[in-house]
Amino acid sequence: MGVALLAEPPPANVAAVAPSDDDLIALALAGRGDAFGTLVERYERAVYHLAFRTMREAEEAKDAAQEAWIKAYRALASFRPGAKFATWIFTICYRVCCDRLATRKRFTGDEPPDVADPSDGPERTYEAAEESARLRAAIAALPEKYRVAITLFHLQGQQYEEIAAVLDLPLGTVKTHLFRAKDLLRAALGPTAQRRTK
Amino acid sequence: MTDDELDRALFALPLEEPPAGLHAQIMAATVLRPAPLFRTWELWLLAGAVALVGWLTVWIFSSSPEAGTRLTDSMVAGMRALGLFSRATYVWLGIGLSSVWWISRLPFMASPRSTVYNR
Repeated sequence: MGVALLAEPPPANVAAVAPSDDDLIALALAGRGDAFGTLVERYERAVYHLAFRTMREAEEAKDAAQEAWIKAYRALASFRPGAKFATWIFTICYRVCCDRLATRKRFTGDEPPDVADPSDGPERTYEAAEESARLRAAIAALPEKYRVAITLFHLQGQQYEEIAAVLDLPLGTVKTHLFRAKDLLRAALGPTAQRRTK
Repeated sequence: MTDDELDRALFALPLEEPPAGLHAQIMAATVLRPAPLFRTWELWLLAGAVALVGWLTVWIFSSSPEAGTRLTDSMVAGMRALGLFSRATYVWLGIGLSSVWWISRLPFMASPRSTVYNR
């Protein structure tokens, strides 16, 4: 869904009606609050998804997503026309999450273990299919750098340059992270896949 | 599980649902947030002006023992020059304020907003 929303161009009849991100930003800068509201509607879910995957706590993800939008609103004038708004807002969101994780680490001494907690996760909230739940749990169990890379891969598709821009990492490192992340996911989901093929 | 299967499974995964009220909170903290009464530089300017006036007052009163009397005399002279001791001034002031109040009570139609953004 994320990729369908963010990476693929909208259908022709929709494109004729829906204003582009650049148009909305221009309108928002001209004082049209409703245009910024449309931008929020368009990317709110993806930004929250990224925050949730990074922070792994619903309340902190909510705060991080809100802070990211406030920062984006204040810095909207600095947005370079022609750039991808999704990449820009994801970058802001990821940095906010990194700051919050660093603060959490400073105050608590460590961050939550990189192991999925079955009692506290999206599985509890949503009645997803077993496979989706397993995949979510497997993603949640990934180390942070792989988790964020695979989340951005999910959100932005195979646009490695965009992922590298958000994470501020070399392209090769991003590809390595994704390769390792997929390896770990395959290992975690292996038994299911084997059961499915039998 | 092949790479393609994993990609398909990843892309089929729905995004996390944001908590209810997040959109409203974002809007309240951004576009709907009332503008501050003063900007930071205005507050600094105001504080500087108040500090300057305070320092000048202390300096004037400490430098001359007759400063208080002179200041009172000059204030009274200024008020007289403005006509604040004249009854006619207050009559006209009353007429003006009551006119404003009556005009504000007249039922003029509010002009409709010219455009409503339609997405």
